[in-house]
Amino acid sequence: MAKLFKLLSLLLPCFFTLVYAQEPALDFVEDIRPVLDQHCFGCHNVGKVAGGINLERYESEGHMVEDGHIWLQAVKQLQSGQMPPDSEPPLSPEEKELLVKGINDILVKSLKENNPGRVVIRRLNHTEYHYTVLDLLGVDFDAAAYFPSDGSGGAGFDNYAQTLFVTPLKFERYYDAAEIILQQVYEQPELWRKLVPHSYQTSWWQRFLSWITHVFSNETADETPVTEAEAVIFPFASKAYRRFLKPAEKEAFRQLFRKVYAGATAANRFDAAILEIFRAILVSPHFLYRIEEEQPVDYPYPLSNFELASRLSYFLWSSLPDQALFEAAYRENLHDSLVLSREVRRMLQDPRAKRFSESFATQWFGVSRLKEDSPVDPERFPEFTPSLRQAMYQELVEYFHYTLTQSHHFLDLIDSDYTFLNEELARHYGIPDVIGDRMRKVTLQDRTRGGVLGMGSVLVSTSLPLRTSPVLRGKWVLEEILGTPPPPPPPDAGVLPEEQADKENAPLRDLLALHRASPDCMSCHQKMDPIGLGMENYDAIGRWREAYGEDPIIAWDTLASGEVFNGPVELKQILLTKEENFARILSEKIFTYAIGRSVEFVDEPTMQRMVKTLLENDFHTEQLILALVNSYPFRYKVNDFDQKLKL
Amino acid sequence: MSKKWHISRRRMLKGLGACIALPFLEAMVPPGLSAYSLSKRPVRFACLFMPNGVHPDLWTPAQFGTDFELSPILQPLGAFKKDVLILNELTNLGANFPGSDGHYAKTANFLTCLPIYKTTGDNLDSGGISLDQIIAQHRGQETLHASLEYGLERINSGIDANVGFTRLYGSNISWKSPSQPCSKEIDPRLAFDRLFRDYVPGAAQRQESPWKQSVLDVVLEDAKVLQRQLGRSDQDKLEEYLESIRSIEKRIDNEEKKKAFEQHITPEIQKELTHLNMRIDEFSELHIGIDITEKTRQMLDIMALAFWSDATRVCTFMFGNSVSNRNFSFLEGVQGSHHQISHHSNDLGQLEQYKIINQWHVSQYAYFLEKLKAIPEGEGNLLDQSMIMFGSGLRDGNRHSPHNLPILLGGKGGGALKTGQNLQFAQDTPLSNFYLSLIRILDIPMECFADSNGELCEIYA
Repeated sequence: MAKLFKLLSLLLPCFFTLVYAQEPALDFVEDIRPVLDQHCFGCHNVGKVAGGINLERYESEGHMVEDGHIWLQAVKQLQSGQMPPDSEPPLSPEEKELLVKGINDILVKSLKENNPGRVVIRRLNHTEYHYTVLDLLGVDFDAAAYFPSDGSGGAGFDNYAQTLFVTPLKFERYYDAAEIILQQVYEQPELWRKLVPHSYQTSWWQRFLSWITHVFSNETADETPVTEAEAVIFPFASKAYRRFLKPAEKEAFRQLFRKVYAGATAANRFDAAILEIFRAILVSPHFLYRIEEEQPVDYPYPLSNFELASRLSYFLWSSLPDQALFEAAYRENLHDSLVLSREVRRMLQDPRAKRFSESFATQWFGVSRLKEDSPVDPERFPEFTPSLRQAMYQELVEYFHYTLTQSHHFLDLIDSDYTFLNEELARHYGIPDVIGDRMRKVTLQDRTRGGVLGMGSVLVSTSLPLRTSPVLRGKWVLEEILGTPPPPPPPDAGVLPEEQADKENAPLRDLLALHRASPDCMSCHQKMDPIGLGMENYDAIGRWREAYGEDPIIAWDTLASGEVFNGPVELKQILLTKEENFARILSEKIFTYAIGRSVEFVDEPTMQRMVKTLLENDFHTEQLILALVNSYPFRYKVNDFDQKLKL
Repeated sequence: MSKKWHISRRRMLKGLGACIALPFLEAMVPPGLSAYSLSKRPVRFACLFMPNGVHPDLWTPAQFGTDFELSPILQPLGAFKKDVLILNELTNLGANFPGSDGHYAKTANFLTCLPIYKTTGDNLDSGGISLDQIIAQHRGQETLHASLEYGLERINSGIDANVGFTRLYGSNISWKSPSQPCSKEIDPRLAFDRLFRDYVPGAAQRQESPWKQSVLDVVLEDAKVLQRQLGRSDQDKLEEYLESIRSIEKRIDNEEKKKAFEQHITPEIQKELTHLNMRIDEFSELHIGIDITEKTRQMLDIMALAFWSDATRVCTFMFGNSVSNRNFSFLEGVQGSHHQISHHSNDLGQLEQYKIINQWHVSQYAYFLEKLKAIPEGEGNLLDQSMIMFGSGLRDGNRHSPHNLPILLGGKGGGALKTGQNLQFAQDTPLSNFYLSLIRILDIPMECFADSNGELCEIYA
């Protein structure tokens, strides 16, 4: 993404000069596509896809803009004369100008217009499934352990639409999970009665009578149980689907109810039938996916109020809208920025917002794995107990949540004078006077902690099982705090041997000096290593140290950008000056998390607005979230340009 | 050039589709015998994937041909020297493309042999359908499960911004379609219950709702209506869902397959099931340490039982995801984690540890071969009826090289393979040639596989 940004800043000036040369705009289909057809499609088509690029598939301007970065590349290649290749007939100067200007104009125009981009329907990920079931039914179901795991995509989050699959095995588990969950609900009257306040029951005499009527008359069966069932099923389904039901859906539920009710014989057949319908709801695509319907228009359109409510609730609560949000979606206009802001503020103050803090922060900073297992060697570091690991994980969650909802200042993530500790973690950090298991906010005497760089969770996650890795820590800062990942290492790059770490006094600095001595390694390692070496005061499990055994730790270094610093405290101060970098990576991360797709070409205006909001409002947390939820990509949708399946 | 086709009656029937072939066969079978017992004994296929490559100098045995000494890493195969093929100089050419640095581009396509699409999540593409899934499509339709996909680790979360791949690529070798990875089962308890829970004597049995079919029908109809209303990429996404329901409905419907499966649960199998069930229970209660040997063996035991009971004929197993940093300090002589040690920088101490980790993997493979060999089938044993592949997507983990991959094949493939050889092929022989040979043995009508340009005739009996 950073690369695209750079590319844009290079090319945009020339776009704008082009666009101001007032001439009638060229039409993609009428003017541009015929030239492409003649010169490009020969190689870049559906069957041949030279260089991984298929240009033929773009049949409309909208579709083309959707993949603007590809066309940006195309323009670059055309301008530099790399394409068409020498082996193919060249473009005439007029053709070349037409293509360059035409494509440029369309891309520039698209950036000035609001284009919401497209995200495919998102299946609930396991965290969302867990919380949705909890809020809907009151059952705490361990979805992450029960379902086959998912991958992550985009900026590295597990709610990324394109990496959430359904497979036969997964579906099987969804079905079985529904059974387990509903069984639990049914066994706990306080839960069951919330959904089914009273079960319709008939005495044997009534049943006998209705059977008689059924046998001896043409009258239809007694519809009372169906009416009773509707009163239970429809509100539940509506909540589960996060919208009102459609008539056809209601009818399908009625039919299924009649079928099971008539077929079951037990006295609790009303409940049995309801359970089957609940099960159908819990495996329905309307429950498992967050669906946003298409409108029959070819321009972007606002999401429905209910769809927007779901986007909000899954963004901030990892779950379905509550009653108040649902009501607001029904009675008011959620697109009204006043209503939207009011709801966002309310939701952030709700305890459920901590789900966002946990999910977002632990994935962004790469510590989510600590929740389940330890990357640390237990023999080398017996003090790294499961409870300490949990406390470290929780420190980040509590800290982020406090930043989000109390201090309202995102730069606290880099540096502050507080953190969250319990007794075990405080002792680990060497901070006195924290008693008990409860995590609480502790004001710090110095700045070696406070901010994610000094957190045990981050320090452990960027270390190896036996020792620290300045390279991994440096890479982590470049990627997650500055948003400038280094390029991949050359294929046969080695890694510093673990064995060296057997000696407590491993002279890591000397070893790493090799990196900066070799020209192949230098260009990247001079960016990573100084940062990591500057954090060597933290050991592999995040404790503070002044020396490797006898040898004092030298944390002096010079960043690739020239600043000299000594140790993590000063490093944080330098990072604070790179606030534009941080604003950008924060915006990209939160955008991807909220919308479920990567930042694309068309999102550039939104990105810039979010970055500006942060810089102008002192990194105010609510302001950023409001800028995001008010943005076009969050509230709008545009139809897919690909040909629909014939069904 | 045209090729003359000899189509056997069996293949022709298969070509017509199992739905036609089965009733036909059934009608021809004398009463008292099932169609199943008449058909030829099926060949099973499994692929065991080891992440992070091998010690490059200690893998290949020094002598080639049938008379050779096992190399240090292959020592655990002592008892199975006559049952395996060691295949050298095979290269996954599809794993060599600009930007294929690291592990991901050599894992997702380990069984597809085509370049994957470099992405952190959008438009995932493994290059093609993986070998196991192709086999499952053609040879897995008669069993309850067309294929099983097992492993030990969850999909790695996050993306690797450094090389520009989602870690999902490093966590899947089985691809149902180029854009859809199969789900991997990593929990012995869940894996066991899915296949065998109802057949463990004395265990609580599942009460399957009599309305399952009706419920699924409603949901399927719902999804179909929905799919019509969606845009193209949403339609494609929902198609996964529809396919999943259909495949489950097919299984519920197919009483015949279920009966065939039940008939296979002999008293001997039941005894094994009871035993394994207890081991899994004990393990879940006791397990806290980092030693994964027992868990690995349980997964392999489930696979052996699945083959034995004919629950499936196709299975993949991933010892770990690529870049797996599993802590192998539970092995004598190892102090550290897998990926880290694989980047040994030619340090002798590191290389020694790397070797030990490799050996551990080969030992588990040997354990699996032993299991299969102990199970009688027909006049021989189950191993003779199987093709059990072992391999890694890298040679030397330090170099991330996809050349001269470490590849083993165990079992006689129903008599089609000449095992007990250490074979040296021409340098950079496409790995896909090997896969094509397996496809030939299984009598699957395919002319080529990915970039294949021939077959490995030396392995045929």
